[in-house]
Amino acid sequence: MQINIRSILTSTIFLKSIFVASLFILIFISSVTYKNTLALTSSSESLVKSHETNRVLEQIISYLKDAETGQRGFLMTNDSIFLEPSIGSREKIEANLDILKKLITNTLPQQRNLKSLVLLIEIKYDNFDKLATIYHNKTSNQYEFSKLMLNDKSMMDTIRDKINKMIELENTYLNKEKSELSNNISITPILTLLLFMFPLAVFVISYILINKNLLNLKNANKELIINSESMKHAQQIGEFSTSQWDIDTHEINYSDNFFKLLGYKPQSFKPTMKTFLNFVHPDDRHIILKTVRQVLDNKKATLIYFRIIHADGSIRYFKSIGKMLVDSQNKQTLIAVMSDITSENQKNIDLENKNKELEQSNIELANFNHFASHDLQEPMRKIQIFISRIEDKEKSNLSDFGVEYFEKIKVATQRMRALIDDLLLFSGTTKGEKIFENTNLNELIETAQQELSEIISEKNAKIVSDDLPSLEVISTQIQQLFLNLIGNSLKYNKISVSPVVKIKYEKIIAKDEPRLKIDTDQIFHKISFEDNGLGFDQQYSEKIFALFHRLHNSSEYSGTGIGLAICKKIVENHNGYIFADGQIDIGATFTVYLPDNTETILLAQINLPSNM
Amino acid sequence: MKKDHLHILLADDDEDDRNLFIDALNELKINTKIEVVKDGQELLDFFDKPDVNLPQILFLDLNMPCKTGIECLTEIKKDERLKNLSIAIYSTSASEKDIEETFVRGANVYIKKPNNFDSLKKVLSEVVTLNWQYHTSGLNRDNFLLSL
Repeated sequence: MQINIRSILTSTIFLKSIFVASLFILIFISSVTYKNTLALTSSSESLVKSHETNRVLEQIISYLKDAETGQRGFLMTNDSIFLEPSIGSREKIEANLDILKKLITNTLPQQRNLKSLVLLIEIKYDNFDKLATIYHNKTSNQYEFSKLMLNDKSMMDTIRDKINKMIELENTYLNKEKSELSNNISITPILTLLLFMFPLAVFVISYILINKNLLNLKNANKELIINSESMKHAQQIGEFSTSQWDIDTHEINYSDNFFKLLGYKPQSFKPTMKTFLNFVHPDDRHIILKTVRQVLDNKKATLIYFRIIHADGSIRYFKSIGKMLVDSQNKQTLIAVMSDITSENQKNIDLENKNKELEQSNIELANFNHFASHDLQEPMRKIQIFISRIEDKEKSNLSDFGVEYFEKIKVATQRMRALIDDLLLFSGTTKGEKIFENTNLNELIETAQQELSEIISEKNAKIVSDDLPSLEVISTQIQQLFLNLIGNSLKYNKISVSPVVKIKYEKIIAKDEPRLKIDTDQIFHKISFEDNGLGFDQQYSEKIFALFHRLHNSSEYSGTGIGLAICKKIVENHNGYIFADGQIDIGATFTVYLPDNTETILLAQINLPSNM
Repeated sequence: MKKDHLHILLADDDEDDRNLFIDALNELKINTKIEVVKDGQELLDFFDKPDVNLPQILFLDLNMPCKTGIECLTEIKKDERLKNLSIAIYSTSASEKDIEETFVRGANVYIKKPNNFDSLKKVLSEVVTLNWQYHTSGLNRDNFLLSL
């Protein structure tokens, strides 16, 4: 959208310059054309004048000839009928001369010519009069008459000459004028064409540009509408609102959602700083005032929390961030985003309460552990020690029935004791300290074997182990894991066969081991414990790890159902995996996968499991 | 009072445990003089008596009302008169925390109360015949917990 607006801006500047330039060009062309047209008009006027001059001159000579011919005829016949054409010729010629005078006002040689012509014509008419007088008087002699006639003839010739000269001169003017006119006429259409074509071109270019701008504007407008609509929805869903405060005019604008958050209809009142403060909880008003002052002073964005009294009277929690915008004209606008965090706040309060409850229950749990370790163990221990006392002193006095039931009591108390011990161990695994340290796993296997030495020798068991690596582990827990797994294999053996436990080690990549369901290159240490014992039905391979879940009857095998649950917990503490595979009467295999990554271990330290 | 009597003091709030303790010691046929106190405060009062006859070995239960074994241990170790007293912790609990704390505060040996009378006799016999000289000077963390 920004790019569009920029292109619109630049094209607007371009358009403006085009208009200014074309205005100047148009004025220039118009003035040239105007001048040209003026010249054209004057040329054609001169032409008309020249033609008229010629015509009038011809007329003059023609009148003269008429007058002369008439006079000659009269002289010869003495019939005055011949004089008819010449009557009034003098006036006509005078009138024509007047016309001529007006026509040739602007050419000096023709004016001079005209003057002499007028003189000549006057002389000519004098001659006519003289001839007429001589003829009527009959006094003059033939000689004088002939001489006068001759004189008259030459005068006529001179006039004819003069007129011819004038016509000629006028013709040269005419030609000159004609060529000028033709020049002008050839330029004028081009100028006129230009006068039309140029604005046309400007209009076309402008139209295209304006159209393009219009399209850009339309798109920009469309985007703006979409954005503002999205903003509206975002404000509603996000429970936030915006406001602008023009510092110079003190005009304040709230978004529609601003009103809604306060509990009013959009734009239902005119916002001012004072009306807003009325909505703020009285105890929090100073926060708003202080922050506004701060933002006005240092123009920095500041985040504040305050309470609003909603239109329905409830107290709502808000957070707001304000920022001062200063534009290029140094106009200051305080823009603020305000968000209703009541539900968020309530969640936090709930979470806090839950945390407190959790802490309380943890304390209770710790108290229970104390209770289990001391108070529960105490009577158990006493029962056991009293049993041993009776066994020592009174066993010989008991009947067979008494001895049998006494033995049952002894076994039951032992089992109770084992349960309490294992339960404590399990809770210790969940809650205990988790310190990862580099540990040689071979040593842990060795320690486990030592702890199991009694049962190993009793059952004539054999434990074969691959060389194990050193890993970053919680060593006490991994030792417990090994102890439990080996112990399990030794405990659930077939009566006739001496137990053999094979511990195998392999370094693997996660994606090569489908049961891990991890499709990465992460490296795992795979340690498996394989025995030749009783095994179990594969359908129990997951249930076997559940707390208190037992596959064997308690009278046959002395399990508590906690050992494998502890194993699972330990492996999970290491972000690892444990699987059990069994075949009845063939044996069981427990496979442990421990991740190689120190990062994963760090992760395990952060995400300490909180469920017991 | 004969000089070869071994003078033993037991601080335990549990009557059964006190009786069992006395029975076991008596069955050991060792020439001992046993005195008992029923809680921590009584123990401290015992030492404060003007005509007190100081015992050689104190068997100290940890979980007692009023003053706990740990508190008693701390006070005893502050008392200059009692610096030669051997202290055997005698507790139901065998938690790492208790073992560690009592060791650090200067107890000599830690006994987890056995759940079998024979074991009790065995452990008591071991403690009273212990070479305390060795045990007190060594302050060895490894054999602090008396295992049977």
